[in-house]
Amino acid sequence: MMSIVLAGFVDALGQFLRPENLAAVLVDGLAKAGLYVMIASGLTLIFGLMGVLNFAHGSMTMIGAYLGGLVMVTLVGSATGAGARIVFFFVALAASFALLAGLGGIVEIGLVRRLYDRPPLYQILLTFGLTLILDELIRIVVLFYGMQPTSDWVAAQGTKPYFLEQSVDLGLVSVPGLDLFEIGFGVLTVATLWAFLTRTRYGMIIRAGSEDAEMTEALGIDVRRVFTVVFALGAGVAGAAGTLLMWESTWGASVPLAADALLPAFVVVIIGGLGTFRGTVVAAVIVGMTDAVMTWWFVNEIRFAGLPEMTIFLLLVVMLVLRPQGLFGVEEVGGH
Amino acid sequence: MLALAAYPGIYSVLVNSPMSSEMVALLPRVETMIVVFYFGLFAMSFDFISGYTGYLSFGHTAFYGAGAYFVILAANGKIPLLAPDTSFVYLLVLGGLLAVVLAILIGAVSFRLTGVYFAMITLGFAQVLYVFVREWDYLASNPSDGPAVLERTDPFSIGVPGIDSLNLAIGQLAGDSVEGLLGVLSFNQAEVSYYMIGLVVLICYFAMQRIVHSPFGKVLVAIRENEERAKAVGYATFWYKLGAFAVSAFFAAVAGGLFAGFQRSVSPENTFYFLVTGDALLASIIGGFGTLAGPLYGWLFDETVTEFLSKAGQGGGLLPYLREHLGDATMATELYNGLTVGQAIDTFLNGHAELYIGAIFVLFVLFVPNGLLGTVRDKLGGPVGEQIAARLRGDGK
Repeated sequence: MMSIVLAGFVDALGQFLRPENLAAVLVDGLAKAGLYVMIASGLTLIFGLMGVLNFAHGSMTMIGAYLGGLVMVTLVGSATGAGARIVFFFVALAASFALLAGLGGIVEIGLVRRLYDRPPLYQILLTFGLTLILDELIRIVVLFYGMQPTSDWVAAQGTKPYFLEQSVDLGLVSVPGLDLFEIGFGVLTVATLWAFLTRTRYGMIIRAGSEDAEMTEALGIDVRRVFTVVFALGAGVAGAAGTLLMWESTWGASVPLAADALLPAFVVVIIGGLGTFRGTVVAAVIVGMTDAVMTWWFVNEIRFAGLPEMTIFLLLVVMLVLRPQGLFGVEEVGGH
Repeated sequence: MLALAAYPGIYSVLVNSPMSSEMVALLPRVETMIVVFYFGLFAMSFDFISGYTGYLSFGHTAFYGAGAYFVILAANGKIPLLAPDTSFVYLLVLGGLLAVVLAILIGAVSFRLTGVYFAMITLGFAQVLYVFVREWDYLASNPSDGPAVLERTDPFSIGVPGIDSLNLAIGQLAGDSVEGLLGVLSFNQAEVSYYMIGLVVLICYFAMQRIVHSPFGKVLVAIRENEERAKAVGYATFWYKLGAFAVSAFFAAVAGGLFAGFQRSVSPENTFYFLVTGDALLASIIGGFGTLAGPLYGWLFDETVTEFLSKAGQGGGLLPYLREHLGDATMATELYNGLTVGQAIDTFLNGHAELYIGAIFVLFVLFVPNGLLGTVRDKLGGPVGEQIAARLRGDGK
């Protein structure tokens, strides 16, 4: 019995190590990393500057998915060409970024600002309460239009241009077009945020505020306004991530997406180190690769559907045991 | 406490009174009160660790789920060495001990961390268990829907094990009813379940209350207020935290066991999923974080609002009441673009209690950080019972 299992395992390992399979897993992993970095970077931006763990982040992603879907479904008809669909996608992206950024700004000014002098627990509680409100509001709206809030919005998934649904031949393997789109998108997001944080004056102020808010304030910078801008930015990125997820068959726009996006975002942010953008990028690649590898093993050898998800949470636990501050984190952040 | 003991009687009197339709709409049903009891116990156990030591145990569902699954699996003969008909009280205790072992394993690594990291690692452990339970087909034929009681023929009874006359069965259909106790008192199934589950919850509450007011409990509060200082004074805080974690896990598992015993089926979503901890957190904050009885009142509040905004047949509530009293003309009045009053209530109120509870929760976080019970205590200057007693004796402040 044991030897049969072992033989099957060795056989599967041989399969796994074949170049075409490895390449397929690599592309899949990078695509997943692109999604994870999108979901997590808004969270890490907010935490890095203000130390607020935004529990409403998943809900904001979910709202972004619905908003993006709404724009796409409204604009795209069956006759719309592929190029126009891509253009509309960026319209949807901009719309959900702008609306979510507005929502984030309102939340920061109206609610979160009142709590900076309380223990960090209260910010978690507040944003958790916000999640309840936002999720239920969306559920009301979705039900009102006669859709099922718990199942994916299929019409929105159907607005993909045809070439993203086809496979692209890369020589060694052929991969789904959507994967390549997600990789490109992730790279673009990382590059933009990176340039913003390191190459602009405002980014410099944000980094200074993360380092030492009091000193930055003493130098004549209105840190309160920076807080509002960063909260809005983080919420906006969450919305953009949602718009990207709307096309994905494994995610899709639905109310449970809020929780489904929140947990991986936590995992990525913790593994990378709370509040470091570099850490988040590296951790997203690690988590994406782990997810892809485990998905391959589940599909081909180990018949346990929870394998990828479970491994990701195990990764979180192991990381916290071995190196609680994360890959690039500073030790005192996020403790008491 | 007394009000809770007499609640089923008061409920049946009020519901049959001239104000009956108002009462049906406003008061939670006895069945709902049972949920308040067992879930309130879970929220209390969550508050025991999170409210008293300040360590947010975001994976507390691991213990609730372990207790719940243990009862159902034992009843299906899937726990080795345990017969399906093992007495329910033993199952509750054994499930609690299983949770203690689990808590020591999880706590041993988790208590090396603090703050957000502690919350995240416990969340990680609970989610690993959640995914595992959701996918492992040994547990149920369809593990993502969860198992139900299949093999056990005995009902789940609470009482002294081995003595039939000192046991009463709980459950919605399988429960006992009592007639002519002391010649005058009769209880239907729901009321028997109410008292028996209430009894277990009360015992657990007193046990936790005792621990909180012991020297051990004082150290827990000291850890919350200033752990460095507690260490400097010479307390090995790690062991105190681990001990408190184990105790709270035990009671969380008992709560899970009561839930499983009453409902006779469980699912991963309503036991191990991390949002269940969110509900306990909500109850603790609204009721009063760091007050042991507070979470029960918090959850009572939550369930009352939920039932108030539910459909007819699930305890009545706002909509059936308005339908009865407003008249068809009002209900059919158009508000906006073909949306009638009736439809508006259906769309914005019915079944959407979460929205209003969330809003109330946010208001509590902002303006009433001590919760219901904490604020009342601040106003009275001490625990409610003591203060009322003092005033009745006439030696109040």
